[in-house]
Amino acid sequence: MTPGRTPLLALRQISKSFGAVEALVGVDLEVHGHQVVALVGDNGAGKSTLAKVIAGVLQPDSGLIELDGAPVTIPSASAATRMGVASVFQDLALCENLDVTANVFLGQEVRGRLGMLHDGEMETETRALLRHLTVRIPSVRTPLRNLSGGQRQAVAIARTLIGNPRIVVLDEPTAALSVAQTAEVLTHIERLRELGLGVILISHNLNDVRAVSDRIEVLRHGRNNGSFPGDASHEAILAAITGAGSPSL
Amino acid sequence: MNVIAGARELVTRHMRESGIFVAFVAIVALFAALNPFFLSPNNLTNIVLQYSYILILAIGMVMIIVAGQIDLSVGSVVALTGAVSAVVVIREGMPWYVGALAALVVGLLVGAWQGFWVAFVGIPGFIVTLAGMLLFRGLTYRVLDNVSLSPFGGTYYDIANGFQNGLLGGMGFDVFTLVIFAIAVVGYAVSQWRTRRGRVAYQQTVEGLPLFALKILIVAAVVMWFGYQLAQSRGLPNVLILLAVLVIVYGLVTQKSVFGRHVYAVGGNKHAAELSGVKVRRVNFWIFVNMGFLASVAGIVFSSRMNGAQPGAGNMFELDAIAACFIGGASTTGGVGRVGGAMIGGLIMAVMSNGMQLMGVPQSIQQVIKGLVLLLAVAFDIYNKRRAAALR
Repeated sequence: MTPGRTPLLALRQISKSFGAVEALVGVDLEVHGHQVVALVGDNGAGKSTLAKVIAGVLQPDSGLIELDGAPVTIPSASAATRMGVASVFQDLALCENLDVTANVFLGQEVRGRLGMLHDGEMETETRALLRHLTVRIPSVRTPLRNLSGGQRQAVAIARTLIGNPRIVVLDEPTAALSVAQTAEVLTHIERLRELGLGVILISHNLNDVRAVSDRIEVLRHGRNNGSFPGDASHEAILAAITGAGSPSL
Repeated sequence: MNVIAGARELVTRHMRESGIFVAFVAIVALFAALNPFFLSPNNLTNIVLQYSYILILAIGMVMIIVAGQIDLSVGSVVALTGAVSAVVVIREGMPWYVGALAALVVGLLVGAWQGFWVAFVGIPGFIVTLAGMLLFRGLTYRVLDNVSLSPFGGTYYDIANGFQNGLLGGMGFDVFTLVIFAIAVVGYAVSQWRTRRGRVAYQQTVEGLPLFALKILIVAAVVMWFGYQLAQSRGLPNVLILLAVLVIVYGLVTQKSVFGRHVYAVGGNKHAAELSGVKVRRVNFWIFVNMGFLASVAGIVFSSRMNGAQPGAGNMFELDAIAACFIGGASTTGGVGRVGGAMIGGLIMAVMSNGMQLMGVPQSIQQVIKGLVLLLAVAFDIYNKRRAAALR
């Protein structure tokens, strides 16, 4: 990370409550291009809430979101997409009955003559995207229900690259995947970084996180609870997650 | 040997679709064997005329089922739109097209009403249309003052009972009908060829060329034979032209348009569709408006065929249309189903009803058999899904 450079995305003092429950309290986060920032924490620490704030699904009660140093509000998921923030949600946002191409372009279909679907162009584009991510899938016309969990996750990641985003938010992309599939998904994440994107990786699997992240941010009870370099020790991160010897108290 | 292997591969790959097609052919063959009159020109014409409105309803219904909803009100809407048209044309003495237009407007309004409750209030389609079934039946009685109105006569009567015949002269058969069917066959062959070429270009597996040619040839032979039968009878029914246009247009809308893609997405995973930027509410609203529109088209065709409007018209049509969709491969959980499948499902129902009537099977037994066919079709669907899940 180059200090002093304007981050792609910066969150300043973000707070969000649901009724009496404070999900996020004054959270700060910065992401630069060519960087994978991991967001870790125990269940209920506010990771997914923060992801949804960035993705435009939830609105923060207070705090500031800056894109390229300029303050913005992200009123909806499609607004986030327009601003170059793409997300893969924990509960995979894919349609099992549609094929790979249809899923990748869902909601952002390419229109050809008479406003009809331009399937040829979408298929070519999909194949190129999957090649970029080094994804192996039998055919872009395979319905999603015939793919493995890892392949589906790859499709979900490929989906985010439509419309040239600059920031990708991945919420628990390796949950419920086998060891081999997890390794594949981690390669895809590294490819995203090589493509120059800023990646926010949410996970509570520390092994995955330490394998690919440049920086690890810990959340605890909705607050920042320490920032670590990607090669920090397992124990130090774990201590911050569980609150043992917490620096903020 | 290669052709046989290719054929087997083709059959297993499209088990669900070809299964239903094979069943259709088997049923037709069965009735043809049992009754020599079944495949006669007159009877084939009859089948088209008798069940066209179910097929029209099934087009809209399959889109609703794909989106994960259901519409129980279409029978009542058919009655209401027919009644409005009858009042305008018969009681008020307006020209036929004013009646047809009034029916279409009522259909669109009904669709917008139901779409509003489903999409923007969030009441399940099952409940909204159950209410609509009562509501629009009641309105039909009000509109008709509890009595039947007839006859339409004239051009309105010809919508469902007229034929295009002798436009190009005839020699014991109608040349015009044959020309139209020949154009359809060529169109089918060209579109199949383009699809196949596209698949080859994308390095996907396709059936071998001999098998492909055989498939086209069989379809062409069957279609031209059907056309020849019609040409020997009364010519090309107006209803068949209407139905063909609707099937082609809605085939394109469901398979090639952005809206159609979104209908499938909503039925497959509503949550995912929403997160992907699909306007789920708008999709739900428009599929019901569309159903209202097609129900009014069916209402016009039905009232024209009956040459009048009855308060009890269209009773149970919704169940026939829904059955056609499920027999034709639509999934009960949404997301799966095609217009073409629903048409074959509807034709299976039509052929069974007609065949059993010709054989003098009592109405009670007809109902039993149709019920069993529906049950078996859905059981087959579930069996197929389990097998696909096990293979994964």
